[in-house]
Amino acid sequence: MNTVIETRGLEKHFGRVRALDGLDLSVEAGEVHGFLGPNGAGKSTTIRVLLGLIRASGGNATLFGRDPWRDAVELHRRIAYVPGDVNLWSNLSGGESIDLLTRLRGGTTDKRAYAARREHLAEVFQFDPSKKGRTYSKGNRQKVALIAALATPADLYILDEPTSGLDPLMEAVFRQEIAALLGDGATVLLSSHILSEVEHLCDRVSIIRAGRTVETGTLAELRHLTRTEISFAGEGIDHAAFATIPGAHDLVVDGARVRFTADSDAMPDVLAALSRLRATGVTVNPPSLEELFMRHYHDEIDEPARSSLEGVR
Amino acid sequence: MKTLPTLLLARFRRDRVQIIVWLALFALLEVAGRGAVTETYGDDAERASVIRLVIMSPAILMLRGTPQGTDPDAFQFFLLFGFLGLMVGLMMTFLAVRHTRGDEEAGRAELVGSTPAGRIAPLLATALEGVILSALVGAIMGGVAFAYGADASGALLYGAALSAVGIAYLGVGLACAQLMRTSRGANGLAAAIVTLGYAFRAMGDATGTVQPDGLSMEAGWWSWLSPIGWGQAVAPYTHQRLWPLALCVALGAVLFAASAWLQSHRDLDSSIVPERAGRLHAPLSLSGPIGLVWRTLRNPVIGWTVGGALFGLVLGAVGQTVVDLVNTPDGQEAGQAITDTLAAIAGPNAEGGLIDLFTTGLFGFVGVLAAVGGVQAIMRARQDEAGGTAELVLAAPVSRFRWFSAYLLIGAASVAAVLAFAVLGAFVGLIGSPDVGERMSTVAEAGLAQLPACLVIVAVAALVFALVPRASIALGWAVLLVAIVLGQFGGLFGFPEWVRDISPFTHTPIVTAETIDWSAAWVMSGIAVVVAAGATALVRRRDLALGG
Repeated sequence: MNTVIETRGLEKHFGRVRALDGLDLSVEAGEVHGFLGPNGAGKSTTIRVLLGLIRASGGNATLFGRDPWRDAVELHRRIAYVPGDVNLWSNLSGGESIDLLTRLRGGTTDKRAYAARREHLAEVFQFDPSKKGRTYSKGNRQKVALIAALATPADLYILDEPTSGLDPLMEAVFRQEIAALLGDGATVLLSSHILSEVEHLCDRVSIIRAGRTVETGTLAELRHLTRTEISFAGEGIDHAAFATIPGAHDLVVDGARVRFTADSDAMPDVLAALSRLRATGVTVNPPSLEELFMRHYHDEIDEPARSSLEGVR
Repeated sequence: MKTLPTLLLARFRRDRVQIIVWLALFALLEVAGRGAVTETYGDDAERASVIRLVIMSPAILMLRGTPQGTDPDAFQFFLLFGFLGLMVGLMMTFLAVRHTRGDEEAGRAELVGSTPAGRIAPLLATALEGVILSALVGAIMGGVAFAYGADASGALLYGAALSAVGIAYLGVGLACAQLMRTSRGANGLAAAIVTLGYAFRAMGDATGTVQPDGLSMEAGWWSWLSPIGWGQAVAPYTHQRLWPLALCVALGAVLFAASAWLQSHRDLDSSIVPERAGRLHAPLSLSGPIGLVWRTLRNPVIGWTVGGALFGLVLGAVGQTVVDLVNTPDGQEAGQAITDTLAAIAGPNAEGGLIDLFTTGLFGFVGVLAAVGGVQAIMRARQDEAGGTAELVLAAPVSRFRWFSAYLLIGAASVAAVLAFAVLGAFVGLIGSPDVGERMSTVAEAGLAQLPACLVIVAVAALVFALVPRASIALGWAVLLVAIVLGQFGGLFGFPEWVRDISPFTHTPIVTAETIDWSAAWVMSGIAVVVAAGATALVRRRDLALGG
């Protein structure tokens, strides 16, 4: 596979602030790569370095094997970009802004295909292109950038929190459109802090924090690091028997329900133990990215008060 | 209405800096005007001779007003009131729109409207702020006049006349904010109405009738269409009429009442004049950075160009009057004063006939106008960078060079257009003067001579943008201001030569000289090109500076 985006030890300083502090990112051709991190982690800064809008202070970055700062113009012919905070020209209508952005990208050579594509996108995103830029809401400004980005084919789509102003219906439309792109072999870098979006769309994710990559891999690989949540009805079962469940962590008796977590690879043994106990009302929640994400920012969030029953085992 | 004091205080707090600047500007104008009158037209005889001549020149009457005798206070009123009315009108309409439609557009009105303040209290607070400020402007101007020796009743009425004009235009601003959907639209309409009021007054004054004493005039009927005309009709030092004050206040009150009715009956974010739908598709002209920058700057550039053309027209038309003035036996003395002033403006080595001095001296102001338009184009680059639209353009396959040179190009083209149209306007104004051919060639040279200095200033503004993007708006305008003060008025203020030499305007070729020395023009053109190229190279090398 070809590597489309590659950064090694990327650094960016703004005065004394280290926005990026040794960031590693590797995006392969044809994948949707989730770029996760809380606000201020350095997602937008990384993207601006990749677009050659700002210059890295240290480390290196390549796009399609080329320097994003020096070869910005040539690289941009292959890239479609949606900024995190879309600002439009106040005196241009939405339709004019879309046409302008597409023309700047040289995307109107096939006029008929572009017109059809624009029409289609405006319809599915329920977008009115006749209003002036200053009267659009955040969501509608985002639609302008999305429609312009999706209206002409690109090799790489860089999308910075593209759905942060969209309602759930529009998010679903967005997912469909991205899924359609993948059939054409495009590469997508999708920055987000909405985990469900990343779980739905991404093949691999990189989680960054304070300008550094803290975790990267396929969803399956990362799930390996997380635990499955299991609960069942505890009535009529001797509490002492809970200790016989192998690999159970954080076991809690919550009224009639018993909850615990287990490592994903311990699941066959856990299920065998549950059947021996003749447990009823069993629910199994697969590990979520949410959990992974929370774990990486664990020390930033207050430890939830839990009455641990570890001693029961 | 318990929220009213809070809202009122919040408005004063938001405007505190602006208010101080406006009030200081008004006071400064009155003081400077008073100084100039004493200096140039010190005694009754001098003033009488000037008035007799001016009465025969509609072009000067349009710029000034209708004379009311030789009393020094009345003379000051005649010279300045029209312009003060224009200023107070713009101040009040901008204020009214900022706190009504401006807040509504930004979503602040929604926030405030959800509190017990409701729909009407914010409007009332805005109106109150405007009335208080109008009164303050009047008090300051009357106070300065009184300090310069005007009698108490005259000074009081003078201040009241200006306040009343302010109140009338406050109503205009409030009504425009109800009519238009955007603050830009409302400000545009209101400024047009104020300017039209100034123009009607100018027409009325130019077509006025001379009174039997030969030293005062009554304005023509056009002036009755204009609140500024009404303010003028108060004639605070002579006729002391009160009823035009009532006319102004009544207009303000009627428009306020209408605005309040509309405000309480319409939906939030709606307007009487509906917002026009935009185009569905971009025109072909909107395909690259140049088309885009032109689209965003088109209206201001057209505005500056029309301003230049009108200025040129008046300049051409008035020039001959000045010559006539000096050629009458009566005018020798006043003429000498004018010649001295003009020579100071035109530069240390200026020679030649009075009319050429006059033309080239005033073309300095056209240069200022042109430079302002040019600097505005560069400042637009900063606004686009900070506002985030530059990011969209530069993330497309558009090089920094292609992006930034569009602003430079439109800036330079704007400078050239303003100067060219001023020259054309002056040509039209000159028709009917003797020696038209010679006059026209002087005017064309005067226009061309301004070009290099203006381009240097645009290039320096570009350099500021490249080096210190976040401070570039304040610094860019400061560069222009310093260049204007040192270069165009350095002679009047008596700055030493080395200080004046800092400004490019100081080096503008003097076209009234026996043989025109264009070498400085070539040097400045070269500097402009080099500095602009350097700025473009630096823009390529720096980070895009977003926000703030």
